[in-house]
Amino acid sequence: MLLQTEGLEKRFGGVVAVRSVTLSVAANELVGIIGANGAGKTTLFAMIAGNQRPSAGTITFDGQRIDGLRPDMVSRRGIARTFQIVRPFSSLTVLENVEIGALFGTRQERSQTVARERSKAILDQVGLGNRADVLASDLTLAGRKRLEVARALATEPKILMLDEVLAGLTPTEVDEAVAMIRAVKSRFNLTIVMVEHVLRAVMQLCERIIVLHHGEKIAEGTPAQVSNDPAVISAYLGAKK
Amino acid sequence: MDVLLSGQLLIAALVTGSIYALVAVGLNLIYGTMRMLNVAHGDLAMIGAYVAFWMFSLFGLSPFLSLFLAMALSALLAAIFYHFIFKRVMASSKLLDRAEANSLLVFFGIAVILQNGTAALFTTNPRGFQYLDQVLQIGNAAITANRLVTLILSLILVVAVVAFFRFTLVGLALRALIQNRTASQIVGINIERIFLYSFMLGFALSGLAGGLVSMYEQIWPFMGFPYTIAAFVIIILGGLGNLFGSLAAGMILGVLETFGIAITGPNFRSILIYGVLILVLLLRPQGLFGGKRVVAR
Amino acid sequence: MTSVFKELKGLNGVVALVLVAAVLFWPALASDYLIGFGILLLMWVAYTESWIVLSGLTGYFSFGHVVFAGLGGYLMAALWLVWPEEIEIAGVVIGGVQVWASMLVSAAAAAVLALVVGYPCLRVRGPYFVILTFGVAELVKFIVINIEAGLSKSGRLMLGGPDTYTLYYLMGSLALAAFLLAYFVSRSRFGAGLRAIREDEDAAETMGIPVTRYKLTAFVLSAIIPGVVGALYVLRGGYFEPLQVFDPKVSLTMICMAIMGGSDDARGPLFGVVFLSVLSEILWAKFPLIYQILVGLVLITFVLGAPDGIWGRIVQATRRRAAGAVAR
Repeated sequence: MLLQTEGLEKRFGGVVAVRSVTLSVAANELVGIIGANGAGKTTLFAMIAGNQRPSAGTITFDGQRIDGLRPDMVSRRGIARTFQIVRPFSSLTVLENVEIGALFGTRQERSQTVARERSKAILDQVGLGNRADVLASDLTLAGRKRLEVARALATEPKILMLDEVLAGLTPTEVDEAVAMIRAVKSRFNLTIVMVEHVLRAVMQLCERIIVLHHGEKIAEGTPAQVSNDPAVISAYLGAKK
Repeated sequence: MDVLLSGQLLIAALVTGSIYALVAVGLNLIYGTMRMLNVAHGDLAMIGAYVAFWMFSLFGLSPFLSLFLAMALSALLAAIFYHFIFKRVMASSKLLDRAEANSLLVFFGIAVILQNGTAALFTTNPRGFQYLDQVLQIGNAAITANRLVTLILSLILVVAVVAFFRFTLVGLALRALIQNRTASQIVGINIERIFLYSFMLGFALSGLAGGLVSMYEQIWPFMGFPYTIAAFVIIILGGLGNLFGSLAAGMILGVLETFGIAITGPNFRSILIYGVLILVLLLRPQGLFGGKRVVAR
Repeated sequence: MTSVFKELKGLNGVVALVLVAAVLFWPALASDYLIGFGILLLMWVAYTESWIVLSGLTGYFSFGHVVFAGLGGYLMAALWLVWPEEIEIAGVVIGGVQVWASMLVSAAAAAVLALVVGYPCLRVRGPYFVILTFGVAELVKFIVINIEAGLSKSGRLMLGGPDTYTLYYLMGSLALAAFLLAYFVSRSRFGAGLRAIREDEDAAETMGIPVTRYKLTAFVLSAIIPGVVGALYVLRGGYFEPLQVFDPKVSLTMICMAIMGGSDDARGPLFGVVFLSVLSEILWAKFPLIYQILVGLVLITFVLGAPDGIWGRIVQATRRRAAGAVAR
C-alpha cells in the first residue's frame, strides 16, 4: 500500500467534517473519491497534503507516518495536490509557475536551468507548451486547470491528488482533460487519487471508487459495484420507497 | 495615590476614551465594509478641528454649529476620494488582489497630502481657542464644561451609531456587507452605495471628533497621527467589524493611557500604546471581542 | 530568458559600467555639497534595495525598516568611546576601529533583531504585518528615547569620525552590496520561492517551499545592510538623536522609492531613488511642504496607475514591442 489512512478524523468546533475514514491506495492505482458537497472530500485531501491537521487518526505514506507534517514536507515526500479552486501564481508566467514545482518538489532541484527544461517538457505534455510565456492570470479556466496539474507534475510526485479538476469545464474540455489524465498517468508512472463530481468521467477513468457521505466512507469498489450499492443510491437519490 | 483614587483621572480617562471610541468606530466602519485600512483617519479629525477653529476665530461661530460643517466637509472629502480613487481600486481586479496593501499606501498618500496641505495653508504653528472652558465640579473631580460636553456627546453618538447598526435596515445591510460581500451582492444589496455611505460616515465621525477636541486642545497639522494609531489599536483590540467592541476597547484604552501616564509619566504613553498594539496583533489578532482569524493558519 | 533581457543585454552591461564609473568618480568632479548629496543617494539605494529583498519579493510590506538603521546608529553612537583608536592584528596596525567595529556589530545586531521580530511577526499577514512592523519600529524608538532620557543624554556626539570622501565610498560599497544582494536573490531559486510566497503562500507551501524559513531568511537579509547604513549615517553629522534616526519617514521613503521605481527587480529602486532624490533636491529647500504633497500625489498615482513602478513599465513596453516583432 502506497498511501493509507486509519481512522482519520477532522473536527471543526462542533462539526465533524471527516469521521473515522480508513482507506488505502496501492501504487499505480487510479482511485476516485465521490460524494455530495460537504461530504468531506476536500478536507480529506487537505489532511493528507498537510494543509490541515487531523483531529484523530493516522496517515501513512510509503511506510512512514505523515499526519501532522507541514505541506512542504508532505510535498517533498512525493504527494502533490491540486486545489478545488485553482491557485496559480498569477503574476508569474505559465513556465515560471511550473518551475516552482520543479524547483521545490521531490527532487529539490537547485539548478534553475534544469528546472526550466523539465518544466517546458511537462508543459508540452499537458498541452500548454505554446503558452509558456503567458501570464498565468491570462489563461482560461481550462488552461489554469492544466497549469495546476502541470505544476503538480513538476514536483515529480509518486501520488497525484486531483481535487475536482474537471469542475467548471465544458463536456468537450472534460473529454480532453480525461485524455490528459490518462496520458499523464502512464507517462509519469503515477498513482492518482481524484475527487470528482463529474460522475461520467469518474466511471470512465477510475478502477476503484470510494464514496464519502457526511464525512464517512459508505462504500468502496469498482464503478459497477459502487453504482449498484444500495447505500450509495440512497445517499445520492434518497431512500427507496 | 490620592490622585489615582480620585475621580479626576477617571473623568479624564472617560473623556479621552469617548473621543477614541468615536474615532475608532468610524475607522471600523470603513474597514469592516471596504476592508481598507485608512491611515489618514486621524487627519480627518485634524481637518474637523481646523474647521471648528476657523469658524470660531473668523465668525465667532460656536463649535457645536461648526461640528455640522466639519462633518459635512469630511463627508465631502470621503465622497471625492471614493469617487476618484477607491472606486478604481475596487473595480480593478489586479489592484483588488492586494487591495488592502494598496489602499494602505493610497491612504498614506492622502494623509501626507492632508497634513502638509494644511501646514502649507495655515503654517505648522499650534493654534487654539477658548470655548466653554468653565470648570465644573462633579464630586471631588473637576472638569471643564467643554470636556464634559465632549464626553456626553461622543458617547451618545457612538451609541447611536451602534444602535443604527443593529436596529435599522441600512445597518443590517452594513452588517451583511461586513460579513460577506459576495452574498450581500447576491441578495441585492447595492454595495457600492453602502461603501460610499460608510466611507462618508466614517470620515464624518472623525471630523466630528476633531471639532470637539479643538475646544479644549491645541491643534496643529500633525495632530491627527496619534488618533490614527489609537484608532488602530482600538479596532484591533475590539475586533474588526465589531462596533460595540470599538466602544469598549476605546474606553479601555482611554483608561489604560490616562492611568498609565499618571503612574509612569508621559514618555511612556507611546511605549504603552505600541506595546498593546503589538501584543494584541501577535497574541489575539481577532481582538478581545472579535471572532475572525487574521493570522496565517 | 524573455526577450526583455536579450534586448537589454548589451545595453545592461554598458549602463552598469557607466553607473559604476559615475559613482566612483563623482567625488572628484563634484563639490562638497554634491558629494553629500551623493552619500544620501547611495544611502537610499542601499535601503531600498534591501527593502525589496523582503517586501518586493514576498509582498510582506515592512513599514518599520528604519528600526534597523536606528539600531545601527545607536550602536555606533553608544560604542564610539568604547572602542580603542586602533588595534594590532598579527603585527598589522589597523585604524578606524570605531567605524568598522561598530559596522560589524550593527550588522549582527540588525540580523538578530530581524530574527527576533520576524519570527512572530511574519505569521501575521497582509496589512496587519504592515501595522505590526510600524508598531515595532515606533516601540523601539520610544524605548531608546526613554533609555537615553534615563541616562540623561539628549543626543550623543561622535568626534573624530571619517571624512566625507571615506563616508562616500563606504556608503557606495553598501549601496553596491545591496544592489547585488537584490539582484542575485531575485534571480535565484530562493527568490523564485519568495515570489511564489507573494503570489499565494498556501499554494507555495503545498508546492514544497518552506515558507517560514524563507520569509525569515529574507527578513534577516533585508535588515543587515540597513543596520550598517544607519551606523554610518550618524557619522555624517557626528550626531545621534533618536527621533532622527528612528524617523518613520525613512521607512515611508523607502517604500515610496520602491513603489515608484519598481519593487520586483533590483533595477527598479535605482529609478525610484533618483526620481525622489532629484524631486527632493529641487523642492526641499524652498518648498518642503509642496515636496511632501507631491510625494503623496505621486505615491497615489503610482499605486493606482503603475503598481509595478517605472521599471515595471519599461519591462511591459519592451515585452509589447517584442511580442509585436514576433507577430510580424
